[in-house]
Amino acid sequence: MTEMPKRSKTDSQITKRLCEIVGEKNATDMKHIRYAYSYDLSFVMPKLPDYVVMPTNVEQVQEVMKFANQEKISVTPFTAGTNIGGLCIPENGGILLDMKRMNRIIRIDEESHYAIIEPGVSHAQFASALAKYKLRFSWPVGPPSASTSSCSISHGIGGLSGRYGLNSEEITSMEVVLPTGELVRVGSCAIQEDAWHSCLPLPRVDGLFTGWLGTTGVVTKIGLRVHPMPPILKVFTASTENIGHMASYLRTLGNYEICDDLTGVSWWLSQVPIPYPYKPKPSDVPEWISFATTFSWTEKEKQAREEIWKMVVDEETKKGSSLKETEYPEEALRARTQLPSQIVGSTKNYTKQGGAGISWPGTFTPVNKWEPVYEEWKKILMARNLSPSVRVTNYRGVHYGMLRAMIPFPKKDPASIENARQAIVECLKVDLDNGGIPYKPPVDFGLEINKRAHPGYIELLKRVKQMLDPNDIMNTGKLAL
Amino acid sequence: MKWDIPSLEELEDAVWKCTACGNCKTAYDFGPPPTYGEICPAGVEYGFDGNMASKGKIAFARGILDGQLEWTQEFVDDIYRCTICGGCQNQCELDHKPVIPEIIEAMRRKAVSDGVGPMPSQKVIAQSMRSYNNPYQGPRRVRTDWTRPFKKAKKPIKNIMKENAPILFYVGCTGAFNLPVRNFPVATASIFQKLGLDFGILGENEICCGSTAMRLGDVDEFKRVAEANMKTFKDLHDNHGVETIVTSCAGCFRAIKKDYSLSDEYEDHLGGLKVIHTTEFLFNYFKEGKMEFTRELPWKVTYHDPCHTGRHLIQFDVDEDGSRQWKGSYMGKNEETCLYDIPREMIRAIPGIDFVEMERIRSNSYCCGGGGGVMTGYGDWAAKNAGLRVQEALDTGAKQMISICPFCHFNLNEGSKRIKSNMKVYDLVELIDMVL
Repeated sequence: MTEMPKRSKTDSQITKRLCEIVGEKNATDMKHIRYAYSYDLSFVMPKLPDYVVMPTNVEQVQEVMKFANQEKISVTPFTAGTNIGGLCIPENGGILLDMKRMNRIIRIDEESHYAIIEPGVSHAQFASALAKYKLRFSWPVGPPSASTSSCSISHGIGGLSGRYGLNSEEITSMEVVLPTGELVRVGSCAIQEDAWHSCLPLPRVDGLFTGWLGTTGVVTKIGLRVHPMPPILKVFTASTENIGHMASYLRTLGNYEICDDLTGVSWWLSQVPIPYPYKPKPSDVPEWISFATTFSWTEKEKQAREEIWKMVVDEETKKGSSLKETEYPEEALRARTQLPSQIVGSTKNYTKQGGAGISWPGTFTPVNKWEPVYEEWKKILMARNLSPSVRVTNYRGVHYGMLRAMIPFPKKDPASIENARQAIVECLKVDLDNGGIPYKPPVDFGLEINKRAHPGYIELLKRVKQMLDPNDIMNTGKLAL
Repeated sequence: MKWDIPSLEELEDAVWKCTACGNCKTAYDFGPPPTYGEICPAGVEYGFDGNMASKGKIAFARGILDGQLEWTQEFVDDIYRCTICGGCQNQCELDHKPVIPEIIEAMRRKAVSDGVGPMPSQKVIAQSMRSYNNPYQGPRRVRTDWTRPFKKAKKPIKNIMKENAPILFYVGCTGAFNLPVRNFPVATASIFQKLGLDFGILGENEICCGSTAMRLGDVDEFKRVAEANMKTFKDLHDNHGVETIVTSCAGCFRAIKKDYSLSDEYEDHLGGLKVIHTTEFLFNYFKEGKMEFTRELPWKVTYHDPCHTGRHLIQFDVDEDGSRQWKGSYMGKNEETCLYDIPREMIRAIPGIDFVEMERIRSNSYCCGGGGGVMTGYGDWAAKNAGLRVQEALDTGAKQMISICPFCHFNLNEGSKRIKSNMKVYDLVELIDMVL
């Protein structure tokens, strides 16, 4: 079982004021309610918030932030808490700002292909609404109940990232409440109230609120690009004997930019669930398997994609690759190509055998570094009796290389949690030293990033943070600065 | 009689299987096209993550087990603010899935044994059970009031203790005592008589099935009535020719079929008996062509799946001995025993009926809000939640809402009144009686 510090700083006067702002039913300091926000899926140690507040409109968010800033109370924004970096665990207690009740889909512009949503809108809700217009978004392999807005501002990825890049690159405008309570807008909606179509060609101040782990403001509305849904799906599946051949195949295929999602996974990750503890791969199966998702408008277009794919296979074969066309495990393929998915969403493939815990070294690592990093990760993980359940993915053609390992562990056993944590941090160090950068990093990762960072970068982060959040109340401690 | 009713401590391993992923928070189906809906009545009303779906309830259980949470009035309140509808359970894919309702009920059992549960208004039920053998504080003699029209029409219903019959119609307390739903047993008995069936009732000797006590965590009271009922049923089978127990109450059906099976003497007492819900019982006659709907009913209707006759009857496949995956691994589910298609098929077969579906149906049906003791403990919220479900029905264009559970029926009617709608709620037996 996990231990949690039994401290509590609740003050009934603060609770009273919070109730005045959001209503009695939407603010509390009751411990059993706070407890449910004290932990998540990850190895991050549980920590209790002192208050939980559920605003229902922007004005309430502003009032909460003004009050918190005045009283210097930490505020941790929360939508669904489904990240695996402990990002919503309040490092410093304070107010847990649960945004789930702000869940309106304000507009779906079917002509200009963007939508405006509030932070509480889930992937499931958004997917259902978009489908009525034959539109889609780049759904991640997270729970359908997770927040689309949070995914986007945290540089989340999804099933269309092979083509369009990160979900943060889909942001067209934002409305944000600053830690000091002022309301700001970025993107076209900053110039014309009703125009939410683009962050460009204005200066990219949306970057003040993306990738900051909820430490610079509370996004209360977000504009996002959405995309048409071609009717014909074709998934190309292939295997290789090693990561080197897989990386080569993904790079070559990625060059043609025909895939919505282009991913390779190690044998351990292709299992539903990931084996826990480690078990050896059967000797007669390949170590790497890949799916390449393509959508086409016509049969002819699909055939053209097939032609390109065969060309790539020929090219790789000529290089002496072990690449083969292979059947991908059925449930695993469904889980990753029918998004949002309850199979991955429920963490069935990730934690079912491990038991409640899942964390990762999740990184952006250039394709040419996948092989050395994976080989090192494999040694580290196997030495700790953990499966090297690794995924590599190209985003935006071949521009970004994503490399991550999903590591399950039993949450009931502190020693197993610590074993996983140490393994993951070790893996991360290897990746950082190879030029990789983690995304949605827990504090443990932040410390390792900052150790290696250029001093000017850290100073810049501190200045920006100080400018936006002079009392350091927003998700205090998460940047490990 | 020995019972295999687990304590919270015995369910600890299952509690620690929950990832807190929150998949349970929304009813979602990939489709295509994808569908989405709120699934947790407590989550809709109270909103905090602790109130929301199994993620929240399991956080409570985890907090109790790891010693972080101690009873407070508000904490107990939040444990009882759950309809135990199983909507969250249907979304989960992890190994604790099959026992999610059991974890919630085990917390309630702990609250009762620690002297802090159930809630004050629910304690009235417990007291009534002990004093009157029913949760409605109804005197024994009132139990047969609904049979008066039959006596008057000189078509009396057999008292099965006095006259043998192969079919026991187990009426249930709600149908017998709750005036707004008293037409249920009337319609059921009327259909049985029209079909010429040889059946009887326990009359004033019928006692509560114990479902409400079980849902509230009052395990002692549940066992008392369950054991008494099981002995009665065995006696009826052994000495009065009863082969089938038919019940039109979804709560009774679930209790007798599922909760009673936790007894080590279930097979001995009920092994020779068929326990069946009225809907399925009548469906057999319908399929065999022995029940024909002759009158037209030009209604536009929708159907509400009760939790007790729907997802509560899902059979979970668990690797019990570890031979397929590992011991305790959840392997899959079987919905064949759920009463999803049967009521729909009969409704569609009624001449003149225009049947339309709501968005949240079958295993993703949105609970009326009346289950798990909520209707008694939190009547206002129960009716408010029912109003949401009635609105969903109204949005289909239907004018009548059909169901097969007296609790749903009562609560949905309250919801309809609350939102000032003209939606009329009927039980399927009432429709069948009209067109037979």
